[in-house]
Amino acid sequence: MSNKWWLLSFAALLSPLGAMFFGAADLTASELYRCAVGACQDPTNSLIFWEIRLPRVLVGFLVGAGLAVAGATLQNITRNGLADPYLFGVVSGAGLGASIATLLFDSSMGERWGLLQAFPDFSFTLALPFSAFLGALFAVFFVQLLASKTFGSRTEHMLLAGVAVSFMLSALSHFILFIGEPFAANKVIFWLMGSLARVEVWYAWIMLPVVLVSVGILLLYGRHMDALLLGDENAKTLGVQVTRLRILSLAICAALTACIVSYCGGIGFVGLMIPHIVRNWLGVTSRVVIIGSVLLGGCFMVWVDVLARVALDNQEIPIGIITAAIGSVFFLMAMSQRRN
Amino acid sequence: MSSPCSLIATNVNLKIGQQQILSDICLNVTAGKVVGVLGPNGAGKTSLLKLLSGQLQSGNSVSWNNKLLANYGAIELAQQIAVVNQLNDSVFALNLEQIVRMGLLPHKTLLSKHSKQDDLHIQDAITRVGLEHKTLQSFSSLSGGEQQRGLIARALVQKAALIVLDEPVNHLDVYYQHQVLKLLKSLAHKLNITVVMSLHDLNLAANYCDHLCLLDQGHMLAQGTPKVVLEATLLQQVFRTPCEVTQNNQNSGLRVDFYPPAENESAYSLFKQGETNV
Repeated sequence: MSNKWWLLSFAALLSPLGAMFFGAADLTASELYRCAVGACQDPTNSLIFWEIRLPRVLVGFLVGAGLAVAGATLQNITRNGLADPYLFGVVSGAGLGASIATLLFDSSMGERWGLLQAFPDFSFTLALPFSAFLGALFAVFFVQLLASKTFGSRTEHMLLAGVAVSFMLSALSHFILFIGEPFAANKVIFWLMGSLARVEVWYAWIMLPVVLVSVGILLLYGRHMDALLLGDENAKTLGVQVTRLRILSLAICAALTACIVSYCGGIGFVGLMIPHIVRNWLGVTSRVVIIGSVLLGGCFMVWVDVLARVALDNQEIPIGIITAAIGSVFFLMAMSQRRN
Repeated sequence: MSSPCSLIATNVNLKIGQQQILSDICLNVTAGKVVGVLGPNGAGKTSLLKLLSGQLQSGNSVSWNNKLLANYGAIELAQQIAVVNQLNDSVFALNLEQIVRMGLLPHKTLLSKHSKQDDLHIQDAITRVGLEHKTLQSFSSLSGGEQQRGLIARALVQKAALIVLDEPVNHLDVYYQHQVLKLLKSLAHKLNITVVMSLHDLNLAANYCDHLCLLDQGHMLAQGTPKVVLEATLLQQVFRTPCEVTQNNQNSGLRVDFYPPAENESAYSLFKQGETNV
């Protein structure tokens, strides 16, 4: 294992630990340790540790890892370094699905229509990510279809198709929220900017299997994903079932994005930046990019969340504002690099 | 009775839309031969190669190793037949070793790891094509000839018994044209690999191929040894250009020279002829 991998592995291990120190309350290392082993003297500190900081750090790491892996996968199968779940409309599709679920299961409309009574076992907790998954799946296939059949599959065309679909689905989901919810503004802001402010620890238990299974499948198919980089025709001559692999990869992107967007809103540009940095730093083969994206994406999001918590006194910045600010500059740099 | 590793095409027909691309093509190639597919633009060379390599469905008309291509699974076919196409410019800079390593793909399951034997095999293939000093260099930074040799190394790692190449010396300078074809010929004769490729340069075909197929408008006009196929009247008719075939004093092979059309044959009439034939 090279020094770079050691460095990244240590960073991925230490970042969540380091991030536990940051927040409105000052908790020392010894207090954190006591809370971790269940010997916390102050119940408030215990509450901060178990209910606020730990869930945020765990969920933050999984959000960063999941979005980075989704971006890396999209970039691999489209052979397009500018692909990202946000720019390709996957986040908006998941947002639309989640908005519909919110409306049907968690609003006065849901009660009026008796949907929860009609499906007593199908709780809102499951309905939300499932509906987001369907929305994301719709978006990802819609963009692929538009790009290949209508606009041509050149990088710029795919990007334009993605951005157009993204705006279209966002507009639709915001409209649905405004029609169905009396106080929709907060939810729209949540879908637009994303936030880890209200995360609970059980979010991690839903995200963890999705991220682990997705990463596992992508690592298994690593060699096949590499062959896709040579173009579909070349991959087929190496025995790769291109259509099947593409559908599987897109479904994985949709699942990862959906479970993140359902609970943390739309967070952009992580899937664009992280795989880009990993490729330049560690290598371009799929397995390297996937593992590197998990580690670096996780670290990145943990520290972005710390920044969101501590940058302003008594106020939190929505996490999507920070990722969009960093990501948009990065996007421009990547475009300029491609041109050169 | 065919030999174990032979490529047999029987009455191959291909129609795309209303256009008949190939008509009644028959071919029988034995192992270890270098086969050149010749013909003017639009003759059906690329389509024939795609049918012979299983990239296009050939139904009951093409068999390899006494088994119809249609009956091969995708992985099984990739273990037998390697295709060397031009690579698209990848946005991600894979190096030569990574490209060559992809040849192992048909021989690996999802869970199998790379072994030291694999590494040796990859190094051996890269050495065979003379690129051992460029193993870790970005593939896109290699010259056209080096890229072509790199893809041939990938075909070697693929352990395929048949290598199909579409215009392998296109865009290469004279030096690399000879290097690549010499390499293919030596691989065919030493390792008993069958090589089928399309070529535009008839002199290169005369020098490096054991068997030639001359196509025009989807029909096989002639096939056999270079001496049989490279016949002046036939070439003149197919390429619509005056031509002369002589004995090459340098290597006892054939030399084909095309001459500018006569003054009274206008460029426009040549153009019109060409247009109707495509």
